[in-house]
Amino acid sequence: MAQTHDTRPSSDRRPAPGKPAPSAAVRRRGPDLLPYALVAPLAVFIVGLAIVPAIYALTQAFFRVQVLDPPTRFNGVDNFTALADNAALVKSMVNTAAYVGIGVTLSTVIGIAMAMAVQRKFAGRSLVIAAMILPWALPGVVEGIVWLGIWDANVGLFNSALTTVGLVDQYQVFLGANRWLTILLIEIVQVWQIAPLSALLVLASLQNIPGELYEAAALDGCTAWSRFRRITLPLVRPGVAVAMVQALILTLNIFDQPYVLNGAAETGASLTMQTYFISFQNLDFGQGYALSLVITVATLVASFAVVKLVYRRVEY
Amino acid sequence: MVRSRAVRSMLVAGCVLALAACNGGSGSGEPLSAPTSNVTISVVLASNPPSKAALDAFTKETGITVKWTNVDWDSLQTKITAAVAAKTYFADATNVDWSRVGQLGKLNAFYPMEQLMDTAAMAADVPQLTSFTAGGHVVGIPYDASFSVTTINKNIYDKAGVAVPTTMDEYTQGLKAIKANGAVQYPLNIPFAAAEGLSTYWYQTTGAFGGTVLDDKYKPTFTDPGSPGYKAAQWMVDAVKQGLVPPGNINVSDTQGQQTLMAKGEVASTFSDYSGMIGSLYDDPASSSVVQQVRYLRTPGAAGPGPNNSNPDGVGVPRTAKYPKAAAIFIKWFTSAENQADWAGINGVDKAIKGYPLPSHVSAVEQLASKGQLIGGKELAEMLKTSSRPIFPGGAPSWYPEFSRTVYTSLHSAAAGEMTVDAAIKAIADTANRLSAGG
Amino acid sequence: MRRLGVAFVLVWSLLPLYWALNISFQTNAQITSRPAHYVPSDPTLNNYRALLVGDGDLPAQIRQSAANIVIECGLATVVTVVLATLAAYAFARMRFRGRTLLLYSVLATMALPAYATLIPLYRLMSEAGLVNTYTAIVLVYVSGFLPVATWIMHNYMEALPVAIEEAAQVDGASRMQVLTRVVLPLAGPGIVSTTIITFLFAWGQFLFPLVLSSDISTQPLTVVITALQGRREVPYGLLSAAGVLAVTVPAVIAMTLNRYIVNGLLAGSVK
Repeated sequence: MAQTHDTRPSSDRRPAPGKPAPSAAVRRRGPDLLPYALVAPLAVFIVGLAIVPAIYALTQAFFRVQVLDPPTRFNGVDNFTALADNAALVKSMVNTAAYVGIGVTLSTVIGIAMAMAVQRKFAGRSLVIAAMILPWALPGVVEGIVWLGIWDANVGLFNSALTTVGLVDQYQVFLGANRWLTILLIEIVQVWQIAPLSALLVLASLQNIPGELYEAAALDGCTAWSRFRRITLPLVRPGVAVAMVQALILTLNIFDQPYVLNGAAETGASLTMQTYFISFQNLDFGQGYALSLVITVATLVASFAVVKLVYRRVEY
Repeated sequence: MVRSRAVRSMLVAGCVLALAACNGGSGSGEPLSAPTSNVTISVVLASNPPSKAALDAFTKETGITVKWTNVDWDSLQTKITAAVAAKTYFADATNVDWSRVGQLGKLNAFYPMEQLMDTAAMAADVPQLTSFTAGGHVVGIPYDASFSVTTINKNIYDKAGVAVPTTMDEYTQGLKAIKANGAVQYPLNIPFAAAEGLSTYWYQTTGAFGGTVLDDKYKPTFTDPGSPGYKAAQWMVDAVKQGLVPPGNINVSDTQGQQTLMAKGEVASTFSDYSGMIGSLYDDPASSSVVQQVRYLRTPGAAGPGPNNSNPDGVGVPRTAKYPKAAAIFIKWFTSAENQADWAGINGVDKAIKGYPLPSHVSAVEQLASKGQLIGGKELAEMLKTSSRPIFPGGAPSWYPEFSRTVYTSLHSAAAGEMTVDAAIKAIADTANRLSAGG
Repeated sequence: MRRLGVAFVLVWSLLPLYWALNISFQTNAQITSRPAHYVPSDPTLNNYRALLVGDGDLPAQIRQSAANIVIECGLATVVTVVLATLAAYAFARMRFRGRTLLLYSVLATMALPAYATLIPLYRLMSEAGLVNTYTAIVLVYVSGFLPVATWIMHNYMEALPVAIEEAAQVDGASRMQVLTRVVLPLAGPGIVSTTIITFLFAWGQFLFPLVLSSDISTQPLTVVITALQGRREVPYGLLSAAGVLAVTVPAVIAMTLNRYIVNGLLAGSVK
């Protein structure tokens, strides 16, 4: 189908200076169909299998959709007010805020640290990078299996190691005992998975920094710390911004880690876990969709805010 | 242009969806007249399949081929809910857990089993059938007879010089004596992780204190500090505070507690354990270091032997099934007394289903017990016959999952010291009142 | 300082995986002992044997689901990369009405939580008679991964120098010829990156295949592994061994093709 609309240059392409516009002759009038032909398959998939289901789901947020108690009918913002009255949900909101705060901070810090560790060339560097991205490449169900073996109060590696080196004399409770410790430990598991990507993003920005900048700074007698503060940090901002956005999207949607490691407990339940409970256990799909809508909007707004605050285009 | 194109394809897709909504999924013809032989039915359960030989014999006898799919319990509930919500076929026979009976019954998501087979004739030999009745209909047939039962490690009790308890007081004093004696540091296993096993534990403890958690109108009966439910919650949380329960249990689920505490001899007793655990875990040398040390106990109630709550697994036929009658023939075969005895290993390990707890037919249990094939069989048969009873006499309410979630998250918080027992009880009661009024 | 950093990277990334590997060679009794065995004291292959050897039910399911996951991820990857490449070329090199709207709509779908679209998609697939087919799973994967794949390819192509394409056009090549003869060869590494990343994303899926597949004919390995935990027992050793199996393919890809993953991820994100 594409061959029928050939050879017309795209109207948008600016000819290189000093060259005539390539084959400028316009053979046919009418819209250029080639780009539409190229994006049509994509559009069909995205519209049919993502946007339409999403619109369907998100409009249900304004309906009373209780499978146990039909019929479905419009109920305005009732689902949203019901959510605001749900005490467990409010706790989950606070938990999720903590996950986001800890996760974005920790993955950014660890990401920068890992990126700087592999910034310069050394023997075996590509193997170290390969090891670094490994956690990112693994399926989520395996991640749960792996970390259960580490934090567990009765058989976990962490307990065993602490006892072996003599830091504690008997197994301790880590997950579930204290709300904030629980959240921290759960979030570490997620950071394990998302920090590799943060590291790569920062690494890309790092490698764009011209070496002369550091040399000049060294000549001026700057300490390593002040070089980091004055050169590295400002110049890796684009990478850091994108790393923070990806961390933000993933932490805001955290589900598997708290569910596997801490059950449904209010000490660690997240917002997306509540959508699951509300939709799949209470069978109140209207409220579930309402909460999904809230999460989607929060994700978009927060991402936008991070980009506005952190992202700066860098000129070297 | 692109806009109108996008709008058009959106409309098309929207129509498909609207169609889906109207059509409701029930597709081809009348399923009840679908053939019952020379068909392949899909069976999806959170259980291992019977031996291939057994399934082949069933096919030979009936002309029905069984395609068996094993899905873990949590994931299976998600699948069932998704299928019900989307009104979609996914299996001809699948799990009906006792706790979902009310929900699935109200949704009318499963065929009433009394229309597909003679459930009345079954009732006498299958006491737990009552747990599967909702709104006068039998939603599923129990294929095993799991119930809550107290287990103790006899060696630890002997070592500490503590006699086998028969009442709640003796039981509690015994645990304190074991702790004081130092036989084990934390004698009692309560799985305080915020998961279903914690709710189950509370119901059983409430039973031991002589009551139930909801009355027959599903109103809470545990708000008074003198009520069995309140006392049970207090007893469980006190056990943590008095150092009877391992501190790590705050995040231990029922299965983890059995494997890492009971089976390792780290604790002396689990008040609300499951029937069949001795045979399937504690006496299995590959996973246990307490082989032949654990015993089942008649529930040490406030005043003598208490009840044993049923929590059996059932199997039913979804409304969307393609071959409901063939599925019913399969269920009849799968849950028959003689086959259950096979699943439990009466004719050797080749015919047994790994992890199968206990037949739901009393006659099968007695047969196993008399042949000495069932560890603790005598006690179990006796309990199944005399003291096992449904947690909710009228069947689990349709809002059970939400209620139970409040139970286990609140009790978990109380044990973690995040709220008082009184506040936890109040939270559970508020939820029960709201749900029973609305439902 | 750098040594310390490298040591941190290695320990942080590999220790949890080492632990799963260690557990997979132990019996349940050994796993639950205190303190833990830091290396398998008496390594057993029983967990792997139970999963892989013989013609019992479990090995047969593992084999079938391993084939399923390869087929589903493979097909989804091919379709995704082809469609993403075509669309990315249009987005990167042509201006057309609705371009920005479409591109941003595509990207915005990434912010949707999975549970929001699960039921509508399930219904759609059911109505189309596609539940429990490879097609349903592949279609959902493609719609899920197209945004990322398109974004990566778009960024990659945008960074390619325009001059070569223009020269080809001056020589009379059609735009499709420019795409197939000039752009595609140049974008080769980007296509490889997109392929690997899409494949890895697909490999990690659980929720959608759980609901969209009804039996072993379409269940991927990730779903079968999760089904190993019984209601009354958690077989730690078996689960770890199964986890190690599920990790093998992504781990080999990550170790051998990491250069492409790195480039692709960077193209997908830094703009």
